[in-house]
Amino acid sequence: MKSRIITILLAIGLSVSCLLLAGRMSQLHLPGNQQGYEPVQPIAYSHRLHAGEMQIPCLYCHFAAQTSRHAGVPPASICMNCHRQVTSSLGGMHAEDELAAKEKRKPRQIVSAELEKLYDALALDGNLQPDPRKTPQPIVWNRVHALPSFVYFDHRAHVRVNVACQQCHGPVETMERVRQVSDLSMGWCVNCHRQANQTGIAGARVHASTNCSTCHY
Amino acid sequence: MSDKYWRSLEDWRNVSETGDAEFSETPIDIEAGPDRRGFLKAAGFSFGAAMLAGCGRTVQKIEPNLQQPEGFIPGRPVYYASTCGGCSAGCGTLVKVRDGRPIKLEGNPSHQVSGGGLCAVGQASILGLYDSRRIAHPMVDGKAASWAQADAFVQDRLEQARRAGGAVRLLTGTVHSPTESAWIGHFLGSFRNARHIEYDALSASAILDAHERTHGARILPRYRFDKAGVIVGIDADFLGTWISPVEFAREYAAARDPLGSQYAWHTQVESRMSLTGTKADHRVVLGPADLAGFVSDLHDAVIKGGSNRPEVLQIAQRLRDARGRGLVVCGLQDVAAQALVNGINEALGNYGATIETDRASRQRRGDDRALENLLAELRGGAVDVLIVAGANPAFDLPGGEAVAKAKLLIVHAQRMDETAAKAQAVCAAPDVLESWGDVEPVEGTACIVQPCLQPLFQTRPLVETLAAWSGKPGVALDLIRDQWRQEIFPKAKSNLAFEEFWERSLQDGFAQYTPAARARTAARRESEPEPLQKMDPQDGFHLALYAKPALLEGRHAYNPWLQEVPDPVTKIAWDNYACLAPGAAAKLGVATGDVLGIQCGGQDIELPALVQPGQHENTVAVALGYGSQLSGRFAKVGPQWLEGRPTLNERGLVGVNAAPLLGFDRGSLQYFRSGVKLSKTGTTMALACTQEHQTVSVPERLKPAGAKIRPIIQETTLVQIRESGDRRAKESPRPELWPPDHPYPVHHWAMVVDLNACNGCSACIVACQAENNIPVVGKDEMRRKREMHWMRIDRYYSGALDSPRVAHQPMFCQQCDHAPCETVCPVLATVHSDEGLNQQIYNRCVGTRYCANNCPYKVRRFNWFNYVREDRMANLALNPDVTVRSRGVMEKCTFCVQRIQEAKIESKRLGRPVRDGEIQTACQQTCPAKAIVFGDLDDPHSEVSRLMASGRRYRVLEEINVRPGVGYLKIVRPDAPAGEEKENG
Repeated sequence: MKSRIITILLAIGLSVSCLLLAGRMSQLHLPGNQQGYEPVQPIAYSHRLHAGEMQIPCLYCHFAAQTSRHAGVPPASICMNCHRQVTSSLGGMHAEDELAAKEKRKPRQIVSAELEKLYDALALDGNLQPDPRKTPQPIVWNRVHALPSFVYFDHRAHVRVNVACQQCHGPVETMERVRQVSDLSMGWCVNCHRQANQTGIAGARVHASTNCSTCHY
Repeated sequence: MSDKYWRSLEDWRNVSETGDAEFSETPIDIEAGPDRRGFLKAAGFSFGAAMLAGCGRTVQKIEPNLQQPEGFIPGRPVYYASTCGGCSAGCGTLVKVRDGRPIKLEGNPSHQVSGGGLCAVGQASILGLYDSRRIAHPMVDGKAASWAQADAFVQDRLEQARRAGGAVRLLTGTVHSPTESAWIGHFLGSFRNARHIEYDALSASAILDAHERTHGARILPRYRFDKAGVIVGIDADFLGTWISPVEFAREYAAARDPLGSQYAWHTQVESRMSLTGTKADHRVVLGPADLAGFVSDLHDAVIKGGSNRPEVLQIAQRLRDARGRGLVVCGLQDVAAQALVNGINEALGNYGATIETDRASRQRRGDDRALENLLAELRGGAVDVLIVAGANPAFDLPGGEAVAKAKLLIVHAQRMDETAAKAQAVCAAPDVLESWGDVEPVEGTACIVQPCLQPLFQTRPLVETLAAWSGKPGVALDLIRDQWRQEIFPKAKSNLAFEEFWERSLQDGFAQYTPAARARTAARRESEPEPLQKMDPQDGFHLALYAKPALLEGRHAYNPWLQEVPDPVTKIAWDNYACLAPGAAAKLGVATGDVLGIQCGGQDIELPALVQPGQHENTVAVALGYGSQLSGRFAKVGPQWLEGRPTLNERGLVGVNAAPLLGFDRGSLQYFRSGVKLSKTGTTMALACTQEHQTVSVPERLKPAGAKIRPIIQETTLVQIRESGDRRAKESPRPELWPPDHPYPVHHWAMVVDLNACNGCSACIVACQAENNIPVVGKDEMRRKREMHWMRIDRYYSGALDSPRVAHQPMFCQQCDHAPCETVCPVLATVHSDEGLNQQIYNRCVGTRYCANNCPYKVRRFNWFNYVREDRMANLALNPDVTVRSRGVMEKCTFCVQRIQEAKIESKRLGRPVRDGEIQTACQQTCPAKAIVFGDLDDPHSEVSRLMASGRRYRVLEEINVRPGVGYLKIVRPDAPAGEEKENG
């Protein structure tokens, strides 16, 4: 009698955990697979706004992708190319302009909370001038796309033959916060290489090597 | 007539000491395997551990620059031209800087002195920068101080000496920096009784003294081996350690191109088997006592035409036949003998041809007489202030501990060595990669040393220190620029403005000017020549103290790469030893490893014996540079495990210091000592000797009867090349077991090694170690045949035991087309690429070691441990482009595939094909003799295709038809009788 109860309890437990597991099956990954990784970043930078709405080319900020293995996170000085002028969202600045016109005063410089972090990092004061009391602090971003250390991916070769950034990184221009779309597994890389050898990229013939030592050394 | 090649005495006697020399590990007998329960427990635990390890996300951070410096792009290397500080030769370097830190040194191909090569010491010196045990700040009386405090302390004492007229002495190694020399002059000029003494622990003082006597100027001439047709080396190891080995190795190889207009004939007269001796066409083995006599006989034979020694007559005849193309170099520390050598060279018209005095060398400027006087002064307590900079006299000089007798000892040093430990004030010196400097190794070639990163510690270069103590503090860069503006720029007669001239020099790494011509006086014949030094020939053994090419006089004893590189001749690492001739060892009844007591001049040291073929019977040779306090740091080198044995000896050091056995005689430092007594101690010591590891040949006991000896080393003669031309006969295709399924559509990488140019210097081994993140394993692991070097240089002897010929053969993965390793890998971790590479995929490897066992060349290395990488600072020298392998993974030479990939992608980016010579492997780049050529066989015009078609080209173990991608060019023996080609191994 007792053993039967135990057996029934065990069976129920097993089926419940199986059901729970089935629900999460889609989210389970092999170790090392970070597909879907979407970490919170120190500054809520929006690719949707910059790359999507403003249509800033990817290579404007990630310029190193043309000449180096790493695309790199742009240095803060690149942000300042625009954000020396643009200190807040356009809507906020327009609202301030209207308010100032209504109150018959000069518009105040308004700084959005996120850009404040950028200026802090660069040790700038409210007028965007160097503030001697602050010390510059690098911005520590969370890396989204990371390959294991035994894989050597090179952006140069891919940018050169016009592989679209979105092919690997997904529709970044629609993302508020960057998410890893592809699983970046070896099979996924090799499939693309094989296909590129047959169909070419953007109408041009390419040689996409599938040797092991193309990426592993 | 066929010669047999042998690697060691055991091999010579046809017995293999180690039984299974072929395999790196003796097989383990599994007597009782693990039981079933034990296996399940272990399996369960490892599964659980693997699951746990897989959980959780790795969070990585990126910290981009706030302001990116111009020209700096993460992941892209930048090369800065600078000058090597490994020794006083002053070779040009290109420092590879990746993401703001130097990671590798390469030779500067346009450099006027070194010409693109770099030796093992230069390659390893990158570890000197990332040495966490460097002196990090100035010290006063053993306590940390700021520079202001140290300056105040020193200047106060100096002021006292200045007022009281006290004796101030500055003791340095060779100083050939124009700016340093000028500031030493300024600084010492403010004292009434001050002197600057330069010395070299590996001294060439007698050459300078002899030139003062015969040519009226105390200079070291510049030897031009490339212009020589006949080279006579008398106890001068010019390819290994003498003056400027990289420069000489390049010129020597150029002079011995079998297709060149002339092929330099080289005879070496020496007491022990030196690296240079291994390359000689003809070797004369003489005891140390007879070397000076040989010089005298040669002098008579050349000048008077007579000698009762036919050997000497023959050499003299060759020299006379090559008037103005001969070169006699001599390393004896005997001024009278050196004067005779000058007489020979003068009589043969070699001055102005193969010996340049107009652009004299400044690479060794030491003055032993001044040094001896200083030591006497020190012993007498007559020195008030002694400043030692860039030297370690307490370690490398006999009686050098007398430096402590100076009333004030100030030491400018990078590491807490024997001298710095005695000092009242220690000034922390920077590494050559983090400070500005200049050097002038050869008159008319001024080189710049530029920093490649911010100083890691609170260090200050010597010029800044001297300027501060002279009361005119300045920054090194300004001091050097001022010096160049005033001295070098006017001499260079450049039509550029100074700023442009400086920028140009900085970019090139050097500037050239025509030095003021020295009035060339013919050698004066001395009316009454000084008698030659006499060594009593009767008293048994003579001691020959020498330096190894990697460790030199011991200044790099801190460097694990240099400790671990096997000596090019003996193939022993991590120790010094007493080399004995086979006959002498038999007479004494000692074998390799028996510890001997060596008594000489009141000093007594104990060293293991090593039986060395080709050595003189009455000579015992001991290497300097060992037993330094700097080597005490290797207590934890290599894996720490139950059966591990220490790398250090019972004194806590690597080897034994032989410098106390040196002596002074008539104003020069003596490396030969007589009156040596040898005694057996009865103990033995295991040496880490790699010469019988990973042998390619078949052990005698496994050979089928009547089998042909494998032609691993092949030789040809000059006559044969000249007769047959360099074209190879058409080869019939070999029978194929495999279908031709390796088409190599785009590239086919291959390499050719010229065995005639290779001198075994081992620079390539260290370059490979630096480029490919190869760990240091320590002495015990090396004894267990577990060295990790991807590249080894096999050294073979042939001929008689007392005077063997030597062949050096660099051996590394041969990238076989039909690779035996590939077919046995159960997980496809080693597979063939369509570019001819035999790829090793670390992340796929599970460590079965089948591949290593199946490799006919024995070039695969297995990671038995996670080798120590505890020093976070030394890890900064790791190459970020190469995976750091972990335990249980097989590894091997990859033809520097990271460099191939880089060049391919970069040329793709620039939209052009890969150019021939654009890809240089690390070993090829550093080779001083340019013996290694890498390239694409698919390109019929490439250098490697041209050499593959050479008549001298052969492949090792060609008969087993694995189709190696590496070709070797046969050794050329010019004096062998014509018409027979030796094909033996």
